[in-house]
Amino acid sequence: MNPHHLLVVDAAQDRLDPAAAIEFVSDPAFGGIDVFIGRVRDLNHGREVIGISYDLFDALALNGFAQIAARAQAQFGPHLKLYIAHAKGRLAVGDLAVVIAAGTPHRDEAFRACRMVIEAVKHESPIWKQEHYVDGDSVWSEGCSLCGEVADHDDQPQAHDGHTH
Amino acid sequence: MMIEISLFGALRECEPGARLQLDLPGDAGVTELRAALLAHAQSHWPAPRASLLGKCALADERSILRDGDALPGGGRVAVLPPVSGG
Repeated sequence: MNPHHLLVVDAAQDRLDPAAAIEFVSDPAFGGIDVFIGRVRDLNHGREVIGISYDLFDALALNGFAQIAARAQAQFGPHLKLYIAHAKGRLAVGDLAVVIAAGTPHRDEAFRACRMVIEAVKHESPIWKQEHYVDGDSVWSEGCSLCGEVADHDDQPQAHDGHTH
Repeated sequence: MMIEISLFGALRECEPGARLQLDLPGDAGVTELRAALLAHAQSHWPAPRASLLGKCALADERSILRDGDALPGGGRVAVLPPVSGG
């Protein structure tokens, strides 16, 4: 069985499920599970947000998730299960945009693998966010250019083109 | 050869259906596609969107395409603006 579950969830049809993520990375040999949940918040740069639309290049995103999982496996060893799921489509405030879960024998690898994966997903995956504001305006986030080389296996927040996430 | 180009994110609204086709010489690669796309954008897209191309990557379904690379066999290329997932 593949130790990594990777998916894109269309918000019009389904929603992200942290319980399913925990269940997938659970294993009798694993004593540590770390879960990251990214939700739509109601304020960004001082503007009141009422929703976000996510656009994805699904095929490349899923291939990228697989590459990120392989890097995590190389870094943290074979005793690792990962769940990587990202939403696409229109989300409201409070909806889940991303769920990452990492299961490992001990907590340290679980924390670090989860952090490494979410940072990589944010900075490398072909995903675009359009924020919708209470005043009716909508703006695409500036984001990180993929033109340069991919950052070396991030596991810490870093500056990207002068901004941080 | 005809290249089918898909647009994402902020570039989606630049073309109907977020797609366009460009006819390139048979020996054209990623560098030539990028130049042709920029020329098209500068004459058809709003200036801020055309200038965004300088920060965009090109890709197929499996990986990012770098300048100097050959174009994918299927003739399908995606234009990826700076990403903002999570």
